[in-house]
Amino acid sequence: MSGRITAEVKACIGRQVSYTAPEELGRSAIRYFALALGDDSPLYRDPEAAAKTVHGGIVAPPTLVCETNQIIQQPLDENGYIGHHWTLPLPNTRFIRGGNEYEFHQPTRPDDRITVTWKILDIYERETRKFGALVFVVSEARYVNQRNELLAINRETNIYSP
Amino acid sequence: MTASRTKYFEEVTIGETLPPIDFAVTLTSLVMYAGATWDFHRYHYDAAFVAGLGMPGPFMDGQMLGALLARQVMQWSGPDGFVRKLSYRQRAMVYANDTITLRGKITGTSIQDGRGLAHCMLSVTGPDERVVARDATATVELQRRPG
Repeated sequence: MSGRITAEVKACIGRQVSYTAPEELGRSAIRYFALALGDDSPLYRDPEAAAKTVHGGIVAPPTLVCETNQIIQQPLDENGYIGHHWTLPLPNTRFIRGGNEYEFHQPTRPDDRITVTWKILDIYERETRKFGALVFVVSEARYVNQRNELLAINRETNIYSP
Repeated sequence: MTASRTKYFEEVTIGETLPPIDFAVTLTSLVMYAGATWDFHRYHYDAAFVAGLGMPGPFMDGQMLGALLARQVMQWSGPDGFVRKLSYRQRAMVYANDTITLRGKITGTSIQDGRGLAHCMLSVTGPDERVVARDATATVELQRRPG
């Protein structure tokens, strides 16, 4: 093992940060997201048709709530990124997305004002035959609306490779 | 998506396939998704920048794959469905001008707290059958047939 999990890295487990959207999600954000996916379901754009579904009105496509760049309100970095990221003491590593596990508790609606809370659940190192020692960072994001009702949970594993 | 009808829990058969989706990933669709999610990173549109990183072209954000998988499940369930869970690991990058194919089938059903759930196994392949995701899973809640 290369010993990248120093006491300083270990101390990052449990770190937590929250962001609250400055406004409601809105119908146009929902319609734009569905358009980008080539999805013309009336559920995302037609109030009358959506009202006849079990959802009772327009809702967001499932994973839109997990896209929170617009909530965070920080300046663009030098490559144009404005979203959440952890600054971890893992020098000279490359960031690779592992996978996502989403749990949805109720649909996100146009008038929802979303708060996301990110937390680092675990950081561990694993030896791989192909790439050597890799550091895995497991994070969890919880999304709630303005009534503090749980909308979704997203567990994400990211890899820091030498 | 055509305005698909509601799929009732009682109609589901184990092993049935979800209608496949062929999605043409173009620079335009990457830019549309990036715009819709306020993701302005040069990864998704700047060919010279990504070439400098040794990559063949602008590439798809990992969460766009999840969004497309959710679209596929909702297309099968109809607008009364509600995706409860979705889990996937991306095994290969998807670049501008790749067409990806999403496939899925129903692996089981269950009833939890009176809710009818269908469990799906999903896969995504790129050009030359490149495996983008092969063991993605989803659980979707369906309406029970009245009466």
